[in-house]
Amino acid sequence: MKHNYLLLKPLWFFLTMLATANFVYAQSRTVSGKVTSVEEGSAVPGVNILVKNTTTGSVTDVDGNYSISVNDDAILVFSSIGFASQEIAVSGRTTIDVALVADIQSLSEVVIVGYGSQRRADITSAVSVVNMENIGDVPATNVTRLLQGQAPGVQVRQTSGRPGQELEVTIRGIGSLGAGSQPLYVVDGFPVGTSIGQSLNPSDIESISVLKDAASTAIYGARGSNGVILITTKSAKEGQLNLTFDANYGVQNIPDSRRTKMMNGVEFAQFKHDSFVDKIRYFEKREPSIDEVPLEFRYPEQTQYSTDWFEEITNQNARFQNYNVTLSAGKGDIRSLVSIGYLDQEGAVIETGFKRFNVRANVDGKINDFISMGWNIVGSNSNEKYANTDGRDALIGRALWTDPRYPVYNPDGTFLNYIGGTNGVFGAVNPVQEMHEMDRNLNTTNILTNGFLQFTFLKDFKFKSSVNATLINSAQKEFRPSTLAGTGFNLPPPREASLFQRSFESLNIAADQLLTYGKRINDHSFDGLLGYSVQEETAKSLTATGNQFPNDEVRYLDAAIKKNAGSSEASWSLLAYFARANYSYRDKYLLSASYRREGSSRFGANNKWGNFPAMSVGWRISEESFIPDLAWLTDLKLRASYGVTGNNNIGNYTSLSNMRPENYIIGNSIANGQVLARFANADLGWEQSKQTDVGLDMGLFDNRLIFTAEYYNRVTDDMLLAIDIPVISGFTQTISNIGKVENKGIELALDYRTSVNEINFRGNFNISFNRNKVLEIRGENDEIWNGGFYSVYNVSKVGRPIGMLHGFKMIGIFNTDAEVAESPTQDGAIPGTYKYFDANGDGVISYDQKDMIEIGNPHPAFNWAMTLGADYKMFDLNVLFTGAQNYDVMRNIEATTMNMDGVFNILQSGVNRWRSAENPGDGRGATSNTWKWQRESNSRYIYDASHIWVKNISLGFSFPETTALKNARLFFSAENLFLISDFPGSNPEINRRGGVNPGVDDEAYPVPRTFSVGANIRF
Amino acid sequence: MNKKYIAVLVMMMGFLFSCSEEFLNKTDPTVLVASTYYQTETQVEQAVNGVYGQLQPLILNQWQYNEFITDNTTLDFNVGNRGQGPALEAIEFWQINAATPNITSLYNSIYQAMVNINTILAKMPAATFSDERKQQFEGELKFIRGYYYFLLVQYFGEVIIMTEPLATPSEAYAFERQPVEDVYAQIESDLNLAASVLPVSYNALNKGRVTQGAALTLLGKVYLTKKDYAKAITTLNQVLPLGYSLLQDYALVFDPKNKNHAESIFDIQFQGDNLLGEQSNFIYTFAPRESAGAVINFPGQNGGGWNIPSRDIIAAYETGDLRKDVSLKEGYTNKSGAWVPVPFINKYNHPHTVLGATNDNWPVLRYADVLLMLAEAINEVSGPTSEAYGYLNAVRSRAGLSGLSGLDKDSFRAAVLAERRIELAFENHRWFDLKRTMTSDQLAAFLNAYGLIEKSNPTTSRGGIPFSSADFQFAPYEALFPIPADQIRINSKLTQNPGY
Repeated sequence: MKHNYLLLKPLWFFLTMLATANFVYAQSRTVSGKVTSVEEGSAVPGVNILVKNTTTGSVTDVDGNYSISVNDDAILVFSSIGFASQEIAVSGRTTIDVALVADIQSLSEVVIVGYGSQRRADITSAVSVVNMENIGDVPATNVTRLLQGQAPGVQVRQTSGRPGQELEVTIRGIGSLGAGSQPLYVVDGFPVGTSIGQSLNPSDIESISVLKDAASTAIYGARGSNGVILITTKSAKEGQLNLTFDANYGVQNIPDSRRTKMMNGVEFAQFKHDSFVDKIRYFEKREPSIDEVPLEFRYPEQTQYSTDWFEEITNQNARFQNYNVTLSAGKGDIRSLVSIGYLDQEGAVIETGFKRFNVRANVDGKINDFISMGWNIVGSNSNEKYANTDGRDALIGRALWTDPRYPVYNPDGTFLNYIGGTNGVFGAVNPVQEMHEMDRNLNTTNILTNGFLQFTFLKDFKFKSSVNATLINSAQKEFRPSTLAGTGFNLPPPREASLFQRSFESLNIAADQLLTYGKRINDHSFDGLLGYSVQEETAKSLTATGNQFPNDEVRYLDAAIKKNAGSSEASWSLLAYFARANYSYRDKYLLSASYRREGSSRFGANNKWGNFPAMSVGWRISEESFIPDLAWLTDLKLRASYGVTGNNNIGNYTSLSNMRPENYIIGNSIANGQVLARFANADLGWEQSKQTDVGLDMGLFDNRLIFTAEYYNRVTDDMLLAIDIPVISGFTQTISNIGKVENKGIELALDYRTSVNEINFRGNFNISFNRNKVLEIRGENDEIWNGGFYSVYNVSKVGRPIGMLHGFKMIGIFNTDAEVAESPTQDGAIPGTYKYFDANGDGVISYDQKDMIEIGNPHPAFNWAMTLGADYKMFDLNVLFTGAQNYDVMRNIEATTMNMDGVFNILQSGVNRWRSAENPGDGRGATSNTWKWQRESNSRYIYDASHIWVKNISLGFSFPETTALKNARLFFSAENLFLISDFPGSNPEINRRGGVNPGVDDEAYPVPRTFSVGANIRF
Repeated sequence: MNKKYIAVLVMMMGFLFSCSEEFLNKTDPTVLVASTYYQTETQVEQAVNGVYGQLQPLILNQWQYNEFITDNTTLDFNVGNRGQGPALEAIEFWQINAATPNITSLYNSIYQAMVNINTILAKMPAATFSDERKQQFEGELKFIRGYYYFLLVQYFGEVIIMTEPLATPSEAYAFERQPVEDVYAQIESDLNLAASVLPVSYNALNKGRVTQGAALTLLGKVYLTKKDYAKAITTLNQVLPLGYSLLQDYALVFDPKNKNHAESIFDIQFQGDNLLGEQSNFIYTFAPRESAGAVINFPGQNGGGWNIPSRDIIAAYETGDLRKDVSLKEGYTNKSGAWVPVPFINKYNHPHTVLGATNDNWPVLRYADVLLMLAEAINEVSGPTSEAYGYLNAVRSRAGLSGLSGLDKDSFRAAVLAERRIELAFENHRWFDLKRTMTSDQLAAFLNAYGLIEKSNPTTSRGGIPFSSADFQFAPYEALFPIPADQIRINSKLTQNPGY
């Protein structure tokens, strides 16, 4: 076929020339040029060139060259399957080179779906394809970054700036209260789990499909509830031989605008001074003499040191390097692609970083006319130098509250090893010293391989047998030397040194047998799939701790006097039978149905098997004869689907009751003992999501404008949930199928491409509105409270969204004793403490949860993203905006950084706290005279986190092709460039607790801004 | 050609589909499965050991509810870290409410242990080993169950009685709180059974298990608490011939080198100086917060500063009482040689070799308690007889104090209570002793008087932070703890104690 085509081309060209020969006299000139592809840079043969509004045309030859005779004012239309057509005015030129943009959204494009692929035109379910071209030159260290802003309904949040970090991906809202809401990741057909991990090299990715509705995910059964992300890695392009080299080098830092402003040394000494004086004024009603004030802050302006601990622990010039070399050979029956990649990302926090080395070999092709095969193998080794950064008492939190009146170093250059700890300020470890002197390493080796053999028989049948495996090995080591102060409060060094080591290995194997049949008879097209899948994963770990080291130099277990070790093993398995049938009539009426029966080791003896059916229909209205042949309407499709999916993320042995050791001493020696660990629940069964989806796909103006609208309603029932049970049963909680959650929403996506003269524009906008509601929590409890009195509660109750923020409603600050007296009783309240709303109206604000109410909604009203791109001659530009609107985040860290006890350093804005009735401040900070009624979970620390990120700007420049160099391009990229938000924290996407406890900010690894330059070179 | 392929395919599929359902049966290899447990003697014995083991966490926290709440102890106030306010300080300052975490954990931990007792009792009959051994296990388990219900009824009043394990969690909603008399009936039944089947003593390999003496002593205490003095006397009299005696040296009663001695009737066993995880750590909780190695024998080691002896109890020691120096210290000398006047409990302060792992057992029942209970019961029945004086003065004489004489019934009662306070100081008797000997109103008046003193002259520095007005205000209803709010929230049929 291919050969014929190539032979025909010159012939066609010749005939065309002949046919147009008689006009030659009338045309004023011959235009010639070369057509190339923007993405590949290579010549595109067989492009039709038509003079607009005429029948005059030409075709490019095998090298992409063409020649046509036209009038000076003619407009040439370049079109080819798989590319967006382009119109160019001749304007008197004789040479016009054209670069065509691949038309990703083309209807004949093949989209990867569960256990197969489908033509885009035939798809009747909600599948978003991530357009790799739209992503730009992002310094992506994790595959999840590629998803950001690319598909409506797919919320991708960078909750932390930890190097190499996997981003948090949620598809169509939080679907479960107890079993997790992460999607299933499938790499080259292999369901690897609900985390993609850090091992995959983003530059190896060919395409990503996101399956969102039940019709597309039900084929994955009990793992389909939260959506499925299908990742396909690159393989060699047929007929091409390419060697590519990609390099990216950059620097990262934390911009000033995203830093929390704490008091400096002088300001904090002044605060200590003032709070000392204020206490005497309030409690003793007198003016203290200067001699009473402790010397350390008697004269604040004379404070010797001022250290910005956050500045000290951040690296303002953190390096980022990423190199990839790919060789792909697509000539012959067996095609192969090999790639190597190296990533080295220093952290924006000092002494942290992530390095990864990847190798990949993807081979596929035909053995003979009946047998084809494919085999991918990828290995990666990564090393992370990590730190305990997230949370108030971890690095970032401590860098904020540690006493600024101390220097990092002693005069002799050694570390000052204990910060604070005087006049009531908490003593803490020196954060800089901790980062330098601790050893913290995680080394992970990951091998993923999958291979298949496919047999074609009886013409229309195919049988494919595939085997997949991932092997993960990791080793973690953490050493804390005796020179460091303790991680808690007031624990001066030397402390006992400690060592933690863990080795982990897991093996995940799966085998699929697929029998497919495809047939087209006249107007009827049918294909079917029968499948059988087995999967098993086993994870083992060995952990050891060592304490009491004779010195800090030998950092191995052998040196420890006190040693402790433990080991564990866990596994799960599944078996599934599934089937799918697609039918279409005249490519107009589309019908698809699938069914999966799945058994899982994770469920109770009475409920081992679950059934997951789904069905979808589509109607391509644009194909109907009653639709007039409108020039602007290319495609119009209406589709609807319904299906049942499950969620099995409940832990491996949850349905079983087991014993746990509880030893005792009898006869002065150890007596082994066993007690019950939990309730058995043989009825524990599948969490089921029933999802309805209605969608509209519209292509206008030759698919230059593509619009997709989607409505969905997903009701998750029999939700797996840890529920409180009466403790008289012996247990306070059990996992049960209880409760019901609804997620419904609308997703809109608009994609537009156009060319004006030689500028190609493209724009993509998507927006999604998700509404989440708990419909039912069965049994005796109707509310689930997670969190703490001093650290905000996430409450899920019937009729409200999951995890709403609860606490006291702060309605002001008491200004006078009289005001305290006439308000509802707040025991211990004095002027200057927060005044809370008496929600239950009993006249008392009790020091518990009784008066706590909903104070914030952590779910955005909508998420959106916009990609704008343009190419002009050698230049290309890509800009990504992402945003979320109308949601709240509890800046829980402010319960500490606005804690006026004087034990922590406080926000600079704390200078405007309440000091006296005459000097009540800005109404945002409590008095320093007491500790009570200011730190409790309350609305004072709730902020609107609506934001717009200018997430990435990439600008590229391509050099003209030479014989040696098919493509050479240089680019500049700015990642996390700019944040527009009123949120005072460094990252409005922070989600410290995750899952069903959203919207809490206790500080996390800050998200850096990255500027990088790079090159793509192809030989 | 095609046929050959199909044959291969059929073979492959047959092989691949041959996985049976067995493939889906997975159990946790790291733990034992409960459904097949309790079948052999070893399994049941280990389950019984587990029941004993669950006494340890209860005892490690019991000081909060039996000493801390009373006039015996207070806290080394931590100006900086107010984090324990709602959980622990609420108990000290009598600000307990239905959400107080440490009351919830108290209630929960008892029922979480009870399920193991009930499960073993239900499953043991089917196990394959001697009836004799089963009887001993039954006695041990019923003693511990009786002890738990005795704690529950004294802390909470009416409580739910569970004597069988549940098949499903939903059955739990059917249970309601039972009258105090019924709870006592359950306790008496359990302890009578235990007293009738348990041995008087064990060989060295089994020391630490519940004995007949323990069952009788606890039963005597139950009768005393019920004011059934006649039964208390007959029951406690049965303890006398069992061979217990007062040790000469009060310090040896608590010395870990001298565990399970002649005076000890029931101790919770701990073992320190190793890494087996069975250690106690009382002194780590009780030592002053900034003692920095001056109290605990490890450099720089601070204590929790909890359960600090109050000025009130220090003043209650008579001059020359040998017990004072054993039971408490009024302060310590810090690293720089300065005297720091923060008192601490010294009974459980013994040198140990592994950081955080002390070797101290906890005395639950001991012979001095038996003698003082007998003195109390006899006085209630017949006034201060010479027998009653004999028991009281035996305890006093060991402490180096002269015997009492010439008291009337009321002052003898007061003398026994005062003696109990000192003799059994910091052994978790005080709260129940006060409740037993006083009505709720009397208790409130008594505690409020103490609170006034402590407020005006706190045992430890408050660091400039004033008391809140609700601190140390005891209302009569607070004699009973609240049923945890969490339990009422999930089971609305559960009633709350009045006042909460």
